[in-house]
Amino acid sequence: MRDQRLRGAGWPWAVRVLGALLLSGAMGTTALAAQDVEERFPGVSLGITYDGRQAATLAIQPFTGRLGGENIAERVQNIIGRDLRYSNRFQVLDELPASLSADEVDYGLWDQMRADYLVTGRVEGAGTTSTLVLELHDVVYREVVDRGRFPLPNPESQDFRMAAHVAADAVVMWATGEPGIAATRIIYSQRMDDGNQDLWIVDSDGENRRRLTNHESISMSPDWSPDGRRVVYLSYRTGLPRIYELNLETGAEKMVPAPRSGDYLTPAYTPDGESVVFSIVGSGRSGLFSYNLARDCCFANISEGAYEDMSPTFSPDGSRMAFSSNRLGVGAPQIYVRPTNGGSAELLSPYAFGRPGYYTSPEWSPLGNRVAYHGRVERRGVHQILISELDQRNRIVRVTSEGVNEDPSWAPDGRHLVFVGERSWGRGLFIVDAVTGNVRTLVSGVRANVPSWSPSLAPRMAEDR
Amino acid sequence: MHYRRLFFVFAVLGAVTLGACRRESPEPPAPPQEQPDPGPDMDSLQRVQDSIAAAEEAARRQAELERAQADARATLEQMVFFEYDESAITPQAEQVLRQKVSILEASPNVRVRLEGHTDERGSVEYNQALGNRRAESVRAFFVQFGLSSDRFETTSYGEERPLVNRSDEAAWAQNRRVEFVITAGADQINPPSM
Repeated sequence: MRDQRLRGAGWPWAVRVLGALLLSGAMGTTALAAQDVEERFPGVSLGITYDGRQAATLAIQPFTGRLGGENIAERVQNIIGRDLRYSNRFQVLDELPASLSADEVDYGLWDQMRADYLVTGRVEGAGTTSTLVLELHDVVYREVVDRGRFPLPNPESQDFRMAAHVAADAVVMWATGEPGIAATRIIYSQRMDDGNQDLWIVDSDGENRRRLTNHESISMSPDWSPDGRRVVYLSYRTGLPRIYELNLETGAEKMVPAPRSGDYLTPAYTPDGESVVFSIVGSGRSGLFSYNLARDCCFANISEGAYEDMSPTFSPDGSRMAFSSNRLGVGAPQIYVRPTNGGSAELLSPYAFGRPGYYTSPEWSPLGNRVAYHGRVERRGVHQILISELDQRNRIVRVTSEGVNEDPSWAPDGRHLVFVGERSWGRGLFIVDAVTGNVRTLVSGVRANVPSWSPSLAPRMAEDR
Repeated sequence: MHYRRLFFVFAVLGAVTLGACRRESPEPPAPPQEQPDPGPDMDSLQRVQDSIAAAEEAARRQAELERAQADARATLEQMVFFEYDESAITPQAEQVLRQKVSILEASPNVRVRLEGHTDERGSVEYNQALGNRRAESVRAFFVQFGLSSDRFETTSYGEERPLVNRSDEAAWAQNRRVEFVITAGADQINPPSM
C-alpha cells in the first residue's frame, strides 16, 4: 500500500499544496480548513484535487505466456488494460517503446516514455489450470512495488473475465492503496416494448450482459446485498408491487410479507445485510419500514406520515440514514438525513432562495463522506447528478451536464457513479468519475432504470475457488 | 295520407277475403297429392304476431338494458387525467367521477382497482408514489360521496406503463391518469337509478 504518487520527488507535495489552495478557494475558507481536509482524507488527500493531467502515468508491457498460456495472455492483458483506464486513476500509455524485448523489464526504456508505473504479466499454463503472474513496477525507483499470482479459470467460462478484473483491482490497490471497481457488476431493470421490465446484470466494463429475471411483469429498483450474493427488488408479479429477495447463487426467491396495504417500493439493505428497509405508500399514510430477512421476522416501522418517505440509504456504519421525502408539502421531494435510531430529519438538498427544489434517489457513498442523488435543474424533467459532500460542509457538486441523468449508484471506490442517462440519441447507463468528471457509456440503446452497483466481488471469487 | 292508409287497409282486407273465398269455392276432383291450402288461421296468426312483438319488445328492452350496462361499464372504466406533478382532481375529472359515483351507488357488488400513472418527467421511483397519490385522490373523492373505502384498492405504475409512447405535451397529458379496473361484480353493473 502506498500513496498515489507522481513522477519526481517534489511533485506530490506541489500538487498537494496546490490542491489545498484550490480547495480553500472553492470553499471560501482559510488554509486551516484545507488542513482539515488533509486529515479527513488520510492518504487520499489528492483524491478530490487531481485530474487526468495529474494522474500517474502507467505503462503496460505486453503480457507473455508459458506452458500454453500464450493464447490467453493477450486477452487477459486487454481486459486489465481497459480496467486500468476505466479506473480513472492513471494516464495509461498507448504507445510502446520501439526497441522493446519481450521478456525483460528495461526501466530505462520506460523512463524515457515518462512512465511512473509499469505493469507486466505472464500467463502460465492453459485450460483450467492457468495462472496470471502480475507485477507492478515503480519505473522511477526501478523496483517492484508488488506482485501477485491470480488463478484463471477456463477462458470459455463465465468467470474468466471476472478473474482478470480481480487482478486489475489488485494493481489499483498496489498503486493507490484504494479499491478498484473492475471486479464488480451492475444490476438494473430494462423496459421492453411490451411494457414489461426485468432485472439485467452486466460487468463493470459493459461485458457479460444478461437477463436475471423473467416474470412477464415489472421488476425494478434493485439493491445489492453487502456480501454481493443477493439482491432485493420490487416486482408487480402478483398485481401489486411487493419486495422480493433473489439469491444470485441459487436463484431462490423470497417475498417480504405484506401485512399492510399499499405499494411496497424502493427496497435497500441495511449495512449488515440482514434487513431490508423500504417504503410503503398508500392509504393517505406512508412510511419507511424494515423487515429482517436473515431471521424472517420483525416487520418494523421507521417513519410514518401523511407524506412519502422513500429511497432509504445508510451510512456505512449504519448510524445515519438518508431518504427522500415530500414532507414540506410542496409537491416535490427533497433529501433528508437522520439518525437511524430516531431523531429529527435534517434537509440535505439545497433550499436556495426559498425554493426547496426537486431532489430524489439518494445513495450514501460506501466511504461515508458523500451522498449522491439527482435534482431538477433548469426545467421540468431535466435532472442532473449531484453530490453532497458531508465533510465539506455539505458542499454540493454537480457531476453531469449533458442530457437528462437520474438514479445514481456508487461504485465500491466511492468515486465512480453509475446512472441512467438520456441523450438525444437514446437512453442507457453511464458511469461518471466524480473526481475527473470522465463519463463513459456502460450500456446503450436500452430503456434502463434504477441501477445498483455491487460491492467488490473479488472476495466472493476467492471464496468460490 | 289518410286515403292512402285506408286504401292500404282495404287492399289487405281484400286479399284476405279473396283467399277465404277461394278456400270456400267447390273444387273439381283433383289428384290426391294436391292437398287444399289451409290458408292462414287468423287467430293463430295473431298469436304468432303478438308473440313476435312481445319477443321483440323483450329483446329491445334487454338490448336497451345491456346497452345501458355497457355504457355504465364504459363510464366506470373511463380514465381521469391530472395536471403535471399534481394529484388534485380537476373539474373535468370531477364530472367523470360524479357519473361513476351514481353507477357505483347502483352497483353495490362492484369493486374497483384504481391504478395511478404519471408522465415520464419526474424521477422513476418518486413517480410511483405520485401515481399512488393520484389513485388515493380518486378513492378519497368516492369516499366523500358515501362510497365504502374498502370497495377500492389503489396501486401505481408510476411512469412505467405509458398510454402514449411519445415525449411531448400531448402524450404527457394522456399519461398522467388513473385507470379503473373492475375486480369484482363485473356482471352486476347497473346503470344509475333515475
